[in-house]
Amino acid sequence: MSVLKDRSVMAKDLEMYSATRLEPDYVVQLRQRALELYEALPVPQYEKSDLTNRRVDAFTINTTPPDEHLWRPVAEPYIAQHAEAPLLVIADGVLVYSRGLEAAAAQGVIFKSLQEAVVSHPELIKQYLHSVVPQDENQFIALNSALWRNGAFVYIPRNMMWEAPLQMISVTTVGGHGTFVHNLILAEAQSQVQFVEIYAAPPTLSDELHVGVTEVVVQDGAHVKIGTLHDFPTHSTNVIVRRAKVLRDGQMDWIAGEVSEGYTVMEFGSVLEGQGSRSTSHAIAFGSKRAHFDLTSRMVHVAKFSDSDTTARGVMQDQAEAVYRGLTHILKGASGANGQQSEKLLMLSPESRANAIPMLLIDENDVKCGHAASVGQINEDQLFYLMSRGISEAEAKRMVVWGFIDPVLSELPIAAVREAVESVLERKMA
Amino acid sequence: MSTSPVLQINDLYASVEGKQILKGVNLTVRGGEVHAIMGPNGTGKSTLASALMGHPKYEVTGGTALLDGENLLELAVDERARQGLFLAMQYPSEVSGVSNANFMRIALNARLGEGHEMPVLKFHRELQKKMKALSMDPSFAERYLNEGFSGGEKKRNEILQMTVLKPRIAILDEIDSGLDIDALRIVAEGVNSLRGPEFGLLVITHYQRLLQYIVPDYVHVMMQGRIVRSGGRELALELEQRGYDWLKEELGIVDETVSAGV
Repeated sequence: MSVLKDRSVMAKDLEMYSATRLEPDYVVQLRQRALELYEALPVPQYEKSDLTNRRVDAFTINTTPPDEHLWRPVAEPYIAQHAEAPLLVIADGVLVYSRGLEAAAAQGVIFKSLQEAVVSHPELIKQYLHSVVPQDENQFIALNSALWRNGAFVYIPRNMMWEAPLQMISVTTVGGHGTFVHNLILAEAQSQVQFVEIYAAPPTLSDELHVGVTEVVVQDGAHVKIGTLHDFPTHSTNVIVRRAKVLRDGQMDWIAGEVSEGYTVMEFGSVLEGQGSRSTSHAIAFGSKRAHFDLTSRMVHVAKFSDSDTTARGVMQDQAEAVYRGLTHILKGASGANGQQSEKLLMLSPESRANAIPMLLIDENDVKCGHAASVGQINEDQLFYLMSRGISEAEAKRMVVWGFIDPVLSELPIAAVREAVESVLERKMA
Repeated sequence: MSTSPVLQINDLYASVEGKQILKGVNLTVRGGEVHAIMGPNGTGKSTLASALMGHPKYEVTGGTALLDGENLLELAVDERARQGLFLAMQYPSEVSGVSNANFMRIALNARLGEGHEMPVLKFHRELQKKMKALSMDPSFAERYLNEGFSGGEKKRNEILQMTVLKPRIAILDEIDSGLDIDALRIVAEGVNSLRGPEFGLLVITHYQRLLQYIVPDYVHVMMQGRIVRSGGRELALELEQRGYDWLKEELGIVDETVSAGV
């Protein structure tokens, strides 16, 4: 990977882009600073993912409006579902469809594109953008910070229990420009909300880099659930960081569905900063063709009596490969903390690869920590058993695989994500 | 398909990981008959059951096995089952995430064939009736297949599957192991409820006890991978009282296991 071909050109492009969008000065400055950081920061090294040969710098700023014939078929299945749920559809960084925003606004809930929010709510954005994932964390984050085109902004006022999930669908229709989505979710004290982010593209998309950042602030006693689904085609490189800061007695639930066929490096999890804060994560990864997954669930226990629970199921077929890290980090002072994790990966073909790595970093004595990890192939005795009752081999395999995923899938707390994952799995499972 | 089934095993040889286990088994089981295969450990009884069902670990190296004239050995495992063969296993697998009822419904519909599927409600009504007959709690229908079941519960679940699928020929592989006397009686009742001219049964057991409840018409003794003695039910009683040594002596067998003479 190399730096941007010509930074001065890029900086000018960016300035012009900001100007056409009427972005406030603070945003322009954030972008320019990020661009400098991007140049200065080292390329992140991923132990299990070699990005050297991925095209991660070949993008230009895209100003062509998205073609409805391209984004509509991809977004339509999601638009058609859950008509009661507020929805943003973003295509190539442009907000192309929305619904239910006014109804939410009437209740004091802000749900809009980040592009609009930087203008309408500068004080919130200034205070919280990059407050959870710092701009200089690594080169990709800096890149996202410099070039983000859109994303969702969610603000839930104090004590508001918001029922219907807020949904954002990002569709990339044209390759070569990079997809840089940044989401910012703010849940005030004692509030409650569900947010769903879905990323998809037509199967023909080629050579696309997607760098996504989602930042979440869970204030005292608030409860946030976020469901995510990535469904990118073969020729895509995806680098994603999702992180929540959870304050006193707050709760953050992550639900991740990974079904991309490209190259994916994702980290998601919570920093448990408040006493009694809690976070769960459920992840389902299904790899087909030459998919590469490098997934890390990261739970950092800063405060006393913080609690985390991580569950993952991965199924790899064809030549797909996956490494799943469950990272539980308990810092000194986080006494009474409890971190549990369980990862199970299943390989369906001789060419598929899977690796589960539980990582427990514990700097405090008075804590509870547990992990279970397993990687295996489909069990011959199970297949024989099912087939001995007259069930065909193909059906028996499907049953074993669904059975493997179902204990996690059926627990996914957001119906929209569960259904979306189900339907994608139905389609992809050989 | 004739109404009365017939399973004909002719000079069957089978090996596991290159090791010859079955060395020429001959046996015919017809509808209405109950055959018991007895014998000490390691003589090939369970191998016979698994090889007939087609477990991939067992390789048939010679002979034939016909069910109603169809060569089972040329069929895939699921095809053998749909042909009417059933094996109640000694150690049934646990399958997480697959409910017991759903599994049985899919299996039954596979057996009945496309266009002849049983309506869902009718299936569940009949399933509950059959579970009740086997003294199984209704909740077992929704539990994951065999997951967390006790040994006895797994055995009952095997018999439940058999009564649901109504096979033409069933093999019970040590269905009595790990069952207390009450459970044994219940399981035996379940098995006996299927008895009739359209159902043939092959019972593999160590113990004569089971055969008090499932009364066999024929008893066979297996040693060194083949049937060395056949008789009526009185043979089982004799074995129970006298053990196997007299028989070994009569037959001139020193080591009855399959490793003998290799």
